Amino acid sequence: MNYRGSIRDGALLLTLVIGLASVVGLSRWLDSYRPPTDSKIEEEQLYLNGTTAKRISLGFNGLAADWYWMRSLQYVGRKIIGVPENIPIDSLGQLNLKLLAPLLDTATTLDPQFMEPYQYAAVVLPDIDLQQAIRLTKKGIAANPSAWRLYQHLGYIYWQQRDFQAAGEAYDQGSKLPGAPPWMEAMKAKMAAEGGSRDLAREIYSRMYEQASNVKVKEMARKRLLQVDSLDQRDGLRKVLSAYQSRMGRCPSSWKEIEPGLRALRMELDSTGAPLDPAGTAYVLVNAGCDVDVDPKSVVPYR
Amino acid sequence: MDTVQTSKIVGSTTTPALAGAWHRIATIAGNTFREAVRDRVLYNLVLFVLILTGAAVFIGELSGGQERKIIVDLGLSAMLLFGVFIAIFVGVGLVYKEIERRTVYAIFSKPVGRGEFLLGKYLGLCLTLLVNVAVMGAGVSLALIYVSRGWDPLALSIWPAILLIYVELMILTGVALLFSSFSSPALSALLTFFVFIIGHFSADLKSLANSMGGSAARWLFAALYYLLPNLANLSFITPAAHGQLPAAQHVAVVVLYSLVYIVVILAAATMIFSRRNFK
Repeated sequence: MNYRGSIRDGALLLTLVIGLASVVGLSRWLDSYRPPTDSKIEEEQLYLNGTTAKRISLGFNGLAADWYWMRSLQYVGRKIIGVPENIPIDSLGQLNLKLLAPLLDTATTLDPQFMEPYQYAAVVLPDIDLQQAIRLTKKGIAANPSAWRLYQHLGYIYWQQRDFQAAGEAYDQGSKLPGAPPWMEAMKAKMAAEGGSRDLAREIYSRMYEQASNVKVKEMARKRLLQVDSLDQRDGLRKVLSAYQSRMGRCPSSWKEIEPGLRALRMELDSTGAPLDPAGTAYVLVNAGCDVDVDPKSVVPYR
Repeated sequence: MDTVQTSKIVGSTTTPALAGAWHRIATIAGNTFREAVRDRVLYNLVLFVLILTGAAVFIGELSGGQERKIIVDLGLSAMLLFGVFIAIFVGVGLVYKEIERRTVYAIFSKPVGRGEFLLGKYLGLCLTLLVNVAVMGAGVSLALIYVSRGWDPLALSIWPAILLIYVELMILTGVALLFSSFSSPALSALLTFFVFIIGHFSADLKSLANSMGGSAARWLFAALYYLLPNLANLSFITPAAHGQLPAAQHVAVVVLYSLVYIVVILAAATMIFSRRNFK
């Protein structure tokens, strides 16, 4: 290579390096000075409904359904990031997730056999839009009449609304389908006999935990199971607090004062003598020591 | 096509006519395949592998436990899309390049029929697409085994859908060849792409024909419905992602329909090409 050629290559390399560095710098400047996204635009209704999207997908409808599904997860994920509390995904009503139902609806119209959005709708949507949750689950049943899991989801929605008769009927219908596990049939009787009981809640969340493939749904079921256990523990703790109050005429100022009662409950205690919730976080005394609650930092949900 | 290869396609005069014709077609097909490989058409496989590897590694984080379904959807959709681009852009150049380079004169100065030439070109590109689709299919199966951390039944059950994708690409290659036998490459590519799009709207054409008031319009849309290939019949990617298999009877009829359609297209292309004057 001659001298002039080397000079030219060097100049080009320099241009390349300077150009790339400028691109990075300018992009960072643009990122930092970009005006905040207009919430109206962010929450704008979808341009395409599911039927139109399916029509124009040219046979790529499965891939389009995956895209809408991942968009649903990102949409919920973005909203959750903005909220400081550790909210379970079945209690997101306050987040104004009005695009979630159309996104899940489009995903399931594009691919009616795609089961995951139906489960997500059954778990997340009732707190946001109950009617849409029921509608989507029934739409899934119409498209997949032999899928017993969809009846399980429908039963779950009704059970959450304390409509135990409708929940029992959903479990009963699902139990008649091929491949349905025996516990589906037992659910109908349990709904009628002990609809609001914690034992039934424990069973429902255990089944959900066993079968969910979505990590977030699994995590929600695990948290709810911890919550049910915690509710049992808190009942026991309240009895100890109540007995102490009757005996001493006042509420305890610390857990140490009622340590013998706590030991009788066979609960795990931390170094300060405070009982631990099922997630391993210490319970806190509230109402001037007359009541007990979970620590807000605990994994066990409040609601 | 170079001189040595051109001399190969002529065949012996003592060979029976049909065997000789098949020999010439096979030679042209082999040469078309080699040309496609030389033109780096199969380089798209590298991009495909990158997409699939990226999906296999990263999609788990985004999909909420649906990585298997998404890998099948993404893999088979990419296979179809890449195949469509190859069928269109290579297909429309098959004949044009030979005319442009004037190698067509050398070929037709020998006892090679124009139909044999077209069929050889068609089969050569189909062979390229077959290699492409087979390697991509194997890639999707391996990606599934990777994300499942072991054997996955989907790795095997996706193959009927892959067969249908290949048949769809065979039709499009035929369509590209038909258009390129009488028009420019750009126009041929555009028209073939339109056929791909309209082919997936076949159900709409039929319902449009049924809903039309006037009998002329009804006949027009009904004619378009039967004239254009019904590619929606070959779409089985979405059910395949759920582990569903198409009914054997459906596959057999669809493949038969496609083969008949391809024969019709190639016959039409041969008719047009035979009347074409290269002067």
